[in-house]
Amino acid sequence: MRKPGGWVGRILRVDLTDRRISEVSTFDYVPKFLGGRGLGAKICWDEVPPEVGAFDPENRLIFATGPLQGTLAPTSGRFMVLGKSPQAAPTESFCRSGVGGHWAPELKWAGYDALIIQGRASNPVYLWITDKRAEILDASRLWGLDTYQAQRAIWKLHGNKTRVMVIGRAGENRSRIASILTDSGDASGQGGFGGVMGSKNLKAIAVRGTGSVTVARPKELMEITATIHKLFSRKSLRSNPYEPEERGFKYNIWGGGYGRGSLSLLPGELLDLCHDPSSQYSQTPDGCFACPVSCRSHVKGPDITHGVAFCAQSYMYLESMIHQPEKGYSKITWQAGKLADLYGINAYELMAIIPWLSDCYREKLITEEQTGLPLKEIGSWNFISRLLHKIAEREGFGDILAEGGQRAAAKLGGKAEKLSWLYYPRAGKFGGFREHWVYLGGFPTGYAVPPLALMWALDNRDALVSHSFISMLWGAAFTVGQNALTAVPEKIIPVLKPVMKAVYGSEKAAEFIQPDGKSLDWTWAAPIVKRYYEHSMLKDSYIVCDILFPYLFNANSADHVGDTTLESKLFSAVTGLEMNEEESYQKAEMLCTLERALAVRDGRTRKDDILHDLYFEKEDAGGRRYHREDLERSKSQYYRLMGWDPRTGTPTGTTLERLGLKEVAEGLKRRRS
Amino acid sequence: MTREVERRTVLKGFTLGAIGLASITTIGKFLQILTFPNGQKVALAKAVILADRSLCSGCRICEIVCANFNSEGRNSASLSRIILEKEYLRGEYQPKVCHQCADPPCLKACPVTALQIERQKGTDARIIDERVCIGCRRCVEACSQYFKPSRPRFDEEKKRTIKCHLCFGEPQCVKFCPLGVLRLERSERGLLVGYPVIKED
Repeated sequence: MRKPGGWVGRILRVDLTDRRISEVSTFDYVPKFLGGRGLGAKICWDEVPPEVGAFDPENRLIFATGPLQGTLAPTSGRFMVLGKSPQAAPTESFCRSGVGGHWAPELKWAGYDALIIQGRASNPVYLWITDKRAEILDASRLWGLDTYQAQRAIWKLHGNKTRVMVIGRAGENRSRIASILTDSGDASGQGGFGGVMGSKNLKAIAVRGTGSVTVARPKELMEITATIHKLFSRKSLRSNPYEPEERGFKYNIWGGGYGRGSLSLLPGELLDLCHDPSSQYSQTPDGCFACPVSCRSHVKGPDITHGVAFCAQSYMYLESMIHQPEKGYSKITWQAGKLADLYGINAYELMAIIPWLSDCYREKLITEEQTGLPLKEIGSWNFISRLLHKIAEREGFGDILAEGGQRAAAKLGGKAEKLSWLYYPRAGKFGGFREHWVYLGGFPTGYAVPPLALMWALDNRDALVSHSFISMLWGAAFTVGQNALTAVPEKIIPVLKPVMKAVYGSEKAAEFIQPDGKSLDWTWAAPIVKRYYEHSMLKDSYIVCDILFPYLFNANSADHVGDTTLESKLFSAVTGLEMNEEESYQKAEMLCTLERALAVRDGRTRKDDILHDLYFEKEDAGGRRYHREDLERSKSQYYRLMGWDPRTGTPTGTTLERLGLKEVAEGLKRRRS
Repeated sequence: MTREVERRTVLKGFTLGAIGLASITTIGKFLQILTFPNGQKVALAKAVILADRSLCSGCRICEIVCANFNSEGRNSASLSRIILEKEYLRGEYQPKVCHQCADPPCLKACPVTALQIERQKGTDARIIDERVCIGCRRCVEACSQYFKPSRPRFDEEKKRTIKCHLCFGEPQCVKFCPLGVLRLERSERGLLVGYPVIKED
């Protein structure tokens, strides 16, 4: 048989302990496990047993691309970082983290689909990969540098066409909330894999490739790409590219409420400067590889750190807007996010830690003397620079915070821990990630939406609800003149009906509140969440962008119905393997079950799929409430749909064998006996 | 008063006319020099891709669509006939297009006349006939004397040089550029662009 297109066919395995580099064939794993998250889950199932801790040398740090990377397929710049996550709390477990930018195509062009990094180097090293060969090189002179400096140093050695994934001080000091950064702000944040890289004494992975990825049906790929461009890019809608904020055009990202390059700055000092042509500040759209949208901004100015920032980084320090209300979004707000990038700290986690510290200080649970932080002036540059420095260097109180918000809260205990639940919704052994979109409009002021609660209860990191399901809700809100924060369920449900019918099979799926408006309707929660996880698994395995795909909501048409066939069409065109939408969902079901089996092996049970009490106690803005019984009933329904045992939430042996995961079934059985 | 203005206008007209005539003669002479090694004249390209870097977001779609379209589905930036030079930390992006030079150094350097003028679709673009190319890379060298990086590139796998041929009048990079950075400028009379009008880029 002719080899399929897309995959380049080799996985690089690097053992840092004995400095051995070897290769595995990608076709040992694909097409069954697709790539990205599916591939990573399989490798972890085979190689990372529950006894292995995240910082142990035996843990695997996997950088996996999918079949689409390095090709014309829109948003194919993304890849996944996988392995046992140190941020998952209290139990370390398998986790995933997606990264955009331009690193992934370079790895494919260098001839590798994925990297498996294991062991621990005796001294700081970095990895240099180019055109089918790899070298472990000394990084003692890079150790201690910030993420930008380290990249510049590597570019001097290997040329500036080299793309680098690099850790900062936080990663070197094995922080559980350390990120791995590439270029000026694309990063693997959630999961804390920067700490894993630090624990392996690996400072950076530099990649440069001049090879190519073969596409099976190039012409077909061009056609689908043209269709996708038509849906997402501004030019195709005949608008004026010279006018950045044109009326009437809606980008199909986040439901159409945001524009090109508009995800960085909020109104305030810095945006005013950027709009002033005589100033040396500017904000320009910046695209990930092969992306037709370019939703991020590159912000420049004489006295700020240049770079792109995504929502997490650029909205990390909104406290500064309260501290200096007259300035609004100021240079400090921007620079705080960039400082986190330079140290290599996950900004999304800081979005929980900072307000939590503020709450604890207000309740007099922590003091300035005890923490060594100027807690009186949260929002100032003095506070954030000292906080980030302490976390990155694990200095004093920063040592506790470097363990992540959830672990820090557990350490302080008592009321401080309870206060953290506002930011960390999931209870049980697999909590540990921040989220606020358990409610539409955010907790605690928004509205309860049953599928959101179920999604969040079932996942093992933040459920990324903001990236496909919730953007559909937001899209409906924008359509009726509301926004992400002011959306009201009664108003948006009529808009959602045709969309939900197309995606989940029934208009009823949109009606998540009872007709009397007094309570929630959980009927469709489980089927919606099943499909949601399948979509999520597929986009992380093919790999396409979290924000563009699945394309559920069309902001520029009358009925707003999107198109969920795009990803499988891209896959078919690139690989030449036929994949229709229905088959892709079956594949995703298999991969979701594999991921669940991994979690179960790490100790997850039905009891851990639960939210903190707070989320059942509080009435939402419409006077409705999540009820424990409803969530439990939906969980049972979900497990049954997936073929898992509803009593324990464990995939049954029959299901695993039906899905072709015999080795997993046997492995689970062996563990139990 | 009115008369004087009129006279001035007439004088102006004369002067402009004289300059115009002179320039036509110059261009005429100029065209004489633009020749193949075998003495055949080189026509000016009737189309050229222009880039407005201020709009560029650095997504590299232009590069990858070019490789996908022109290299039989081998997707790689190193096979692209348009090159995106990026300075990532500073956020400076510069699409480097082939200028379809008026006096093409690449064309004159080719020892086997693999570099030719496209006639079928009437773009008069400077193209490489793959069947004739011997992969000596003299065109790459010639171009890089003025333009860096060189616009003709070497395809390591096929051992042939590749070059922008305007996709026979419908450049895919222009079609797929999502931000309108690239556009195609056309003129039936031919465009005086690239070397020697500009001598570096």
